Amino acid sequence: MHAVGVLEAGLCNYVLLSYGHCGRSGDSMMRMLAGLNAEDAVFGHFGATGGYALAARRAMHEFRTGPETWKRIAVGQRKWANLNPRAMMCHRPMTDEDYDRSPWVVEPFRLADNCLLTDGGRACIITTRERARDLRHPPVVIMGLGMCNPAADPAPASHLAGPTGARRAGEMALRMAGIARDDIDACEIYDCFTYTVEITLQDYGFFGPGEGLDWLQGGTIEPGGSLPVNTSGGLLSEAYFMGLTPLTEGVMQLMGRCGERQLGPKTGNKTPEIIMCSDNGGILQTHSCYILTKG
Amino acid sequence: MTKRKPPPKINADTKAFWDGCRERELRFQKCEDCGHLRHPPAFLCPHCLSSRTVMVKASGRGRVYSYAVYHVAFDPAFQEDLPYIVALVDLEEGPRIVSNLVGCDPGAAACGMAVEVAWDDGEEGLCLPKFRPAGA
Ligand SMILES: [Zn+2]
Repeated sequence: MHAVGVLEAGLCNYVLLSYGHCGRSGDSMMRMLAGLNAEDAVFGHFGATGGYALAARRAMHEFRTGPETWKRIAVGQRKWANLNPRAMMCHRPMTDEDYDRSPWVVEPFRLADNCLLTDGGRACIITTRERARDLRHPPVVIMGLGMCNPAADPAPASHLAGPTGARRAGEMALRMAGIARDDIDACEIYDCFTYTVEITLQDYGFFGPGEGLDWLQGGTIEPGGSLPVNTSGGLLSEAYFMGLTPLTEGVMQLMGRCGERQLGPKTGNKTPEIIMCSDNGGILQTHSCYILTKG
Repeated sequence: MTKRKPPPKINADTKAFWDGCRERELRFQKCEDCGHLRHPPAFLCPHCLSSRTVMVKASGRGRVYSYAVYHVAFDPAFQEDLPYIVALVDLEEGPRIVSNLVGCDPGAAACGMAVEVAWDDGEEGLCLPKFRPAGA
């Protein structure tokens, strides 16, 4: 969103969004995460997993959700990763039984509900439509943007089980794009945890509270499904590059650069025209939504 | 040798809260202008931005808003406590506090369950406000 602002203001011509990190081999990611709630370390409360686990547990109290719902997300996204040679989990299929056997980390989350730690990086260049026309690759256009940052501190947030910032950010992005939710061909959702995918799609309005399990049945988000989600495997099964994982996958799908997992005849999906992407920060405290289309 | 657990972060904002804990009292900031009770402590009222604050004593009774059961020790000092429960407790006076649910089997914990404060002697005279099922 800031990139669009500086481009529109004419302050620069090209903006490079990049992320690179030795998240797996170094310890800086774990230290950053453990420091997230340093105030609460005295009670043994650390990092993102604990915070999201509190949100997910509250959600289980308020509407029908839980491991059965999240299993469909973990197993579904893994099928995409198995088509992606760059995915850390490319050669590691996941069955329902694998998910059920996955050890608890912070209950209600199993290891399979947590995203990966990755060494690597991603980058994306943003420029104006006019400049993009002269470049070598077919451009992807940002149709709509939305942002909503509802809480500074996760613990006192009154609605830990949603609606999260995704509700308003999603509405804003759809309005700016001038399209309806049904026009969306695929989603690339920031998936730090399986539950994050559920609450984001729910707050975007793809299903009502507690209807996620039914909506996900039959492989909705998987290859050949009616709404493919996280087609690279996502943060759960491809690689953790923060918001750059969903962003770059959305862009590459629309450019047609995704090989075996390219949405279209190969995967049994519609060739995508419009993809909705998300990013969020903190413990569901900040949310960005953007909608991409072919240039 | 067991590793020491991290001490509370005590600063100008949070000192009054932890001073209360030493005396086994849960003390919260109350806005003198709009009456809002807030936690964690802060210089300004998040509702009306007033800096006029008094400390009030809470009963120690509340309900579990949410909880999470740790099966992994992110800090080795907590290894011997596994599995342990981190809970968000809504106190009857209003504030929501991060703490532990103790004296409760993880399988018996539930959102909405009534709890009361259970003081846990920490190091250097510091008392940690934890919570147990009410009437247990
Ligand atoms: Zn006030």
